[in-house]
Amino acid sequence: MKAKLGVSALVLLFLGGLWLVAAPFAVGYQPRGAEYVDATVNDLWVGGGLAGLAFVALVIYAADALRELARRGKHAES
Amino acid sequence: MIRKFVGAVAAALALMAGLWLMIAPWALGSQPDNADWTDITTSEFWTGLGVAVVGLAGAISFALAIHEELVKRGLVVVKPRKVEQPEPEAAPAAPQASSAELASLLAPLVEALREDMNRGDRAGGEHRQNGKATLVGVEDNR
Repeated sequence: MKAKLGVSALVLLFLGGLWLVAAPFAVGYQPRGAEYVDATVNDLWVGGGLAGLAFVALVIYAADALRELARRGKHAES
Repeated sequence: MIRKFVGAVAAALALMAGLWLMIAPWALGSQPDNADWTDITTSEFWTGLGVAVVGLAGAISFALAIHEELVKRGLVVVKPRKVEQPEPEAAPAAPQASSAELASLLAPLVEALREDMNRGDRAGGEHRQNGKATLVGVEDNR
């Protein structure tokens, strides 16, 4: 249950990272075609990093859970 | 186990990223001092706050999950919480004076009474005896 809560937090963090990447253009403080302002660069790096981190953590979580399932299946067969 | 650890680390890093986002407008100079918050500040501050809160919740959740698993495996022993005993009722107050103290207090009085009685016997029995005669009668006999 607690781990599920953590996984939900990771999903929310992934979505938050995506929002950060889109925010400069969605909110409008980054004019189209202009050079990126400092806030845009910051948001892109932090948002991209956050989304990537959350994604990698979710993938590792899923992979480890699958490995454990496979191990249990092996034990059940033998 | 390792997946929960990875999750906890990722959530802790997200917490730090959220805190950075909250102060970034001032750190990067996109928010002028003594001015209303710009769109950049509003967006980054509230997004950072949300990221920090979710990161904190995730880190706590994963940490609790790791602790739970360690307990299940017997690697961590949970100390049983002491059941709070109701406070014992206060002992009844000690008697004001023990019988020995009472005896020592009354001793001079008893002694005085005995001396008084002995003196009365020697003086010729002028004292009235209890129940034998009224005080008025005794005085009349004098």
